[in-house]
Amino acid sequence: MAEKRRSGVSMAEPKIAKADSEEEFLSQLGVAALLRGSLLKLVEARPEDPIGFLADHFANLASGSEAADCGDAEPSRTVQDRLSQALWNLNLAHHSQRSAFNNNVRVAYELLMTGGQHLCPGGGVRGRIYTELLRSLCTEAGLSSSTSAPLLRRIQCQDHEAVPFELFRQGVLICTVFADYVRKSQSLYLAVCGGSEVPAQRALCQAALGALRDALDTTQCADTARYLEASAKIAPCTLAQAMVSAQSSYEAQAGASMDPEEFEKEAVALFTARIQPVS
Amino acid sequence: MTASAVACTVKSPVALQIGDVQSDTSRPGVYVIDVTFPQGQVVKIRDVSFKNYYTGFLTVRLQMKGSACQEGSVKWVTCLRNHRLMPNPHTEEGSQDYFSVYGHQMLVEPDNVTAVRLILRQPSSSWLNFTLEEIKIHQCVNDDSEREVPVWFSELTPVDQVPDLQGLPDPQAVASSIQQMWALTEVMQTSQTAVPIGRFDVDGCYDVNLLSYT
Repeated sequence: MAEKRRSGVSMAEPKIAKADSEEEFLSQLGVAALLRGSLLKLVEARPEDPIGFLADHFANLASGSEAADCGDAEPSRTVQDRLSQALWNLNLAHHSQRSAFNNNVRVAYELLMTGGQHLCPGGGVRGRIYTELLRSLCTEAGLSSSTSAPLLRRIQCQDHEAVPFELFRQGVLICTVFADYVRKSQSLYLAVCGGSEVPAQRALCQAALGALRDALDTTQCADTARYLEASAKIAPCTLAQAMVSAQSSYEAQAGASMDPEEFEKEAVALFTARIQPVS
Repeated sequence: MTASAVACTVKSPVALQIGDVQSDTSRPGVYVIDVTFPQGQVVKIRDVSFKNYYTGFLTVRLQMKGSACQEGSVKWVTCLRNHRLMPNPHTEEGSQDYFSVYGHQMLVEPDNVTAVRLILRQPSSSWLNFTLEEIKIHQCVNDDSEREVPVWFSELTPVDQVPDLQGLPDPQAVASSIQQMWALTEVMQTSQTAVPIGRFDVDGCYDVNLLSYT
């Protein structure tokens, strides 16, 4: 009986030892933290392609550690890598998810600042990189360069300037909001068309844009009053009235129409007119 | 009609009793509280409100400015006689209630009042003390001017009659898109900071004094 017990104990010991070494092995690598970080990012971003997302995430981590290991590689290549990594980070969360978006902006800012400190004594991202990032954001969102040109003219920075974080965040937010805005203006045009193939009537387009302009121009009083007043101007019944009166106007009877590009240009002008230029 | 409390001075209660105040051991049963208006202001009273503290009966007298040709004539008029505040002066009921005495309850129309005298009576000996607290006099204010209502206020509720929408795009869809565009522009506007990049800042090398030396 004693022998059996002894053998039982001796059999149990190797199993425990093996398990210890596995746990030790995992904790040495820091895999728990690694996996936790990747899962958190996954949950935050909720991409359509989770495997691809995770692959990108680990690739970024790998290139980040590589750059740290090999010291200073060619500056231009690393900058391009960092730019694409920053873009990837910024696309993780929509701008309406405010805290996640802000976190991603902070990460992107840190990424673009590293290695540039000796180039940029003022502290901050280099103007050239910042402008490049904004331009890439616009093209990635599907905007043509002609659409985004007036916006970029207002918010871009000179190559040598140092962009502080607040300005960086503001610029990125404006670009992402602008992309959404252009998409919405395209769907507005479709709505004004009424679903038909024929281009929309000029008078109706003018009426819709005029209502938007009115709402945006609401006088600066207390916030709640301003929102109520603006919302009254763009309520469905008000718009119906405006469209009815527009249709009976002279222009409608002349049969003039507005094509989508012109409509988009006017809508974009409304938006960019309200951006404060960088000074 | 909005009522506003008129600033008034409430004097401390004066006991009316027969005999010497100091030596007499019995407690007084009648107090008089005078309320005056500053700077001889003449008030049209809407109501007198107060919090009772164990007062049994209340008489209100008003000093009215004579509206007759005699200028400066004032007379005292009783407008409320022995108004019962406590149904049974010996018991608690009504002893700490809030009361309002309105103009229409008074015997005389309380116009052109210059002073108010409240005469408190408590026949019961159960209570050590009695008075009225938080005495406020509200006057009638005629609000002739309507408060300015903004134009858009009347447009908040949708119009009943739907305009003829033949051949026109769906206003709901159009409105929805416009509203989202408006919201996006608002987001952009509110997020604008005044952080400058310092493009036009110079670091002092164009100081006027230095320029003169170059």
